[in-house]
This record gives sequence, structure tokens and C-alpha cells, in this order.
Amino acid sequence: MKTRMTPQNTLTAYLFLAPALLGLFFLTIFPILGVVGISLTNWSGLEKPAFVGLGNFKQIFTVDFYFYRSVVATLYFAFGAVISGIIYSFAIALMLNQRIPARGFWRSVYFIPYIVPSIGTCIVWAWMYESNFGVLNYALHLLGINKIQWLQDPRYAMPSIIAMVVWGMGSMIVIFLAGLQNVPRSYLEAVEIDGGNAWHKFRHITIPLMTPVIFYNFLMSMISNLQIFVPAYALTHGEPSGKTLFMVFLIYREGFMQNSFGHASALSLIFFIFIAALTAIIFATSRRWMFYEGE
Amino acid sequence: MRDMENAKRNTNVIVTIIISLIGLAVLFPFFWMLRSSFMSNIEIHKYPPLLLPTTWRLDNYPYALSVFPSLRYMVNTLTITLPSVVGVLLTSSLAAYAFARLDFPLKRLWFTIVIGSMLMPGAVTIIPIFVAWSFIGLSNGYTPLIVPAFLGGGAVNIFLCRQFLMTIPRDLDEAAIIDGAGHVRILFQILAPLIRPVLIAIGLFTFILYWNDLLGPLIYISRTEQNTISQALANFRSGFGTDWKSIMAASCMTITPPVVLFLIGQKYFIEGIVLSGLKA
Repeated sequence: MKTRMTPQNTLTAYLFLAPALLGLFFLTIFPILGVVGISLTNWSGLEKPAFVGLGNFKQIFTVDFYFYRSVVATLYFAFGAVISGIIYSFAIALMLNQRIPARGFWRSVYFIPYIVPSIGTCIVWAWMYESNFGVLNYALHLLGINKIQWLQDPRYAMPSIIAMVVWGMGSMIVIFLAGLQNVPRSYLEAVEIDGGNAWHKFRHITIPLMTPVIFYNFLMSMISNLQIFVPAYALTHGEPSGKTLFMVFLIYREGFMQNSFGHASALSLIFFIFIAALTAIIFATSRRWMFYEGE
Repeated sequence: MRDMENAKRNTNVIVTIIISLIGLAVLFPFFWMLRSSFMSNIEIHKYPPLLLPTTWRLDNYPYALSVFPSLRYMVNTLTITLPSVVGVLLTSSLAAYAFARLDFPLKRLWFTIVIGSMLMPGAVTIIPIFVAWSFIGLSNGYTPLIVPAFLGGGAVNIFLCRQFLMTIPRDLDEAAIIDGAGHVRILFQILAPLIRPVLIAIGLFTFILYWNDLLGPLIYISRTEQNTISQALANFRSGFGTDWKSIMAASCMTITPPVVLFLIGQKYFIEGIVLSGLKA
């Protein structure tokens, strides 16, 4: 007996779905239309908005001093954080997948930074990065290296933020570890019987079987890291010289600190198209390197 | 064969050492925060840095509480967080039930759209949503932060819950239908207990997400006495820029609830992360 498509079932289904569908319309679809609408005005949130056509976009692409810096900063950060995060998490997961003592304990240790509020992370890292009294510069000193202005030097600000964010990517380690535990032992043993070494097992069994998990982690953390906000708000304010002027921080600043909703909406729309295009590219290229079992 | 076993044991020793060393480095910021929260400001600014306080100043905490009323901020944060957890659990499980158990027109279409919205970057729509809330006069307060939780509870949670429901045999529902139970009763009385692990995981993650959120409160909460804890900590740091011992004590208090929650619900956290990563 299968639940059939009866009018009564349809009614129940739509009632159950009502909150989600309302959310879909009021929190996603209409707001996107709203972004488009507001981006065509010079609205400040206070006075009556005037229609300015594509004026905001023209301004952003021609005279806006911050926009290009913001694109560069956001892309640099997102790719830097996601790629280093995947390498770090994968390496840790591979090690945690060995038979070592207190595995569960270490897994929790690596996971914990993920649940710390980002403002807390920023504060303690800011203190470690502090250039005069900070512990990291002291560590450099012990190695005979000169002090670094971690967050103020244009060369080091971004890598410093990336390191801090990667520290908080414990969830990826847990996902990779679970993926690794799903790699069938028999496949690995088959390689051993054929005389393959650890590298062969890794290269020809582990990596291909893990590509779907890598893809998922890459995509999801790309989307969330493109929306990085807190470090710019709490630590750098977009400085030094716009090196950490992340898109969402710029949208927040233009919209809620400068009250230029029109300009901020135009930025949001560009940001949306930008992420959508990037997502499409990630999906399109994934066919080349992703391995589907049973193919 | 024996050589291979030995080699394996040796690599395991090396791996253990590396994992422990990096693990200690991962724990270091926590240690540093805690140790600084018990120092005087003079000790904190010693160079070379001291490893531990010379005397553990427990009274840093009462002092920090007097300038950073963290209990009030925690209550504020809970005022947003607890209803949101309820909303997410309720509305995501309802939607998941519809997708997992009922047949209705346009089901595939809606499912694709709802799941597709997982890829939607939320930061894009902050301006129009704020405008809409101020249009109805509710843009200053907790409402805009709580209501979204009651509108579907997020695509990821719907998807997770649906995947879990799909693994439960339909015989149970059918028996209940024959007994005359309605869909609401089937979901909440029969299926909910069976998918408890996933519901707990969703609840815990929602709690952490709302507890840690900063952008939302910055947009919607302007009065200091209504601030959430993350927001208050951000303000505290910019306002008390030099009083590092109190900033560190305030930070320790802010991160304690999520950490404690993790330690209690570890199993569900790990399971939840694994499910979201492997089922998707």
C-alpha cells in the first residue's frame, strides 16, 4: 500500500510544506527580486528613493575605489582558505584513520575550534598575532626571525586570517574521516596483493573514492567562505589598504553604516551573480575529476 | 611479512607523534585565552610572554562580569536561540515528512528548488530583508532573527531529515494509518522518536549557529541591553581595547556554552556532520 496522490494527501503535503515554501518565497525569491529593484535606485533608507537606472552599476565598475579590491580580497581569501583547509583536513583525517591511541579524543580536539564563535576566535588570535607582545612573534624570535606585523602588513594580513579560519575547519576533518572509513578494505588489500605500496593505495584507491566527499567539502566551504565577514568586521576593518575588504563586509558597510541601500544592493546582486557563476564552474569542472562508483 | 608489520608499527608511532603535536597546537589558542584571563594586564604584556600566571587571579572574573554583564547577554542570546531551535526542528521535519512520505503534484519541482536553495548565499539578501522588516516596523529587535527559523528551518536540515526518514520502513506508518492515526501523529509520535539522533544533531547545530551569529544581531539589534553575547563581545573589545585580561575573561565566558554543549552532545555532533557530508 503506497500513499496515493489523493486530494487529501495533497492538502496535507502542502500544509506541511507551507512554512518551507513561505521561507522560500519570503527569504529567498522575493528578496532577490528586491535586491534587483533597490539596486536601480539611490535609496538611503530614509528619503524617498529615486530611480537611477544602472547608475549604481556604472559607478561600481568605473569609479568605485573599493569594488575591485573587494573582489580580489574575497577570491584570494576563499580559494586560499578552502584549498589550504582541504589539504589540512585531508592530511589530518588520513592520520586519524590510522590505528593510533586515543583517536576519538584527538578527533574531538581537532573538531572543537569549529564550534567556537568566530568573534572569540578573532580575539584570541588577534592577541597571539599582536606584534609587540604576541606569542607568535616570540616564537619567531626564538627561531631568529624578525617580528612580523601579522595583521597590519599587506603581505601577511590575508595569510594570517586564512590560517585562523583554517584552524576552525574541524568539521571537514570529521567528514573526510568518515569518508575514509567507508573506503572498502578489500580494495586496499587488492593493491597490496598486487605488490602496490602505500602511495599506490592512496593514489589509485583512496583519492578516487574520496572525490565526491572532496567535491562536497570544496563546494560547501567555498560558498560559506565567500561570505566571510567577522574577521574584517572585528579585526582589520578591511585594512591594510583594502587587502581584507571582503564583499559581505563591504555590503554591510555600504548598506548599514553609510545607509546607501541602492549601492549596497547593486553590490549584492553582483556578488550573487559572481557566486552563482563560480558554483556553475565548480559543477561543470567536477565532471572531469569526480569519480562515481558504478560507472 | 614481519618487515611489513614492523614498518606499519613504526609509521603508526610517527603518526601518533605528529597528530599529538599538531593537536596540542590546535588546543594552544584555548590555553592561551584561559591563561590570559587569569593574569594581570601587566603580566599579559610581559615580553617574553609568561607561560602561566604567577598568581591565578580568580577575581578577574567578577570584575569582568561587572563591566561585561555576560549573564544578561546570554539570556538575550537564548531568547533568540531557543525559539529558533524549536522552529527549525518543527518546520524542517514537517517539510521532510512531506517529501519523504507523501505524494503530491509538483513534488519533484519543489524538492529541487528547496534543495537548490542550499547553494544560495544568505548574505546576498540582507538588504531587502532588512528593508522589508523596517517596512512593517519590526527591524529593531529579536523578531527578524527568530522568524526565519519557523520558515522551513533551512534546506540542509530538511534534506538531512528527509534522508533519515527514507531509511525507516513504511510498514510502521501503514499500521498507524490502519489504526486511524493522522499524518501529524505519525510524524511526531511514531517517526520522531526513531529519527531522534538526526533531530538532536539538527538542534545542536542550530543552537551553535544562532549562538555564534554576529552579522544578524549587528543588523537588527541596536540597543546595548538587548545585545547578544557575540555582539556584546565584539563591542566590548572595541570599547575596552586595552583591558586585555577582561577581554580574555569575557571571551572565555562567551565560548564556554558552545564548548560545554559540544562535550555533552559530542556523539550527535559528529554523527550530524558525517550525515550532512556523506548523504549529500
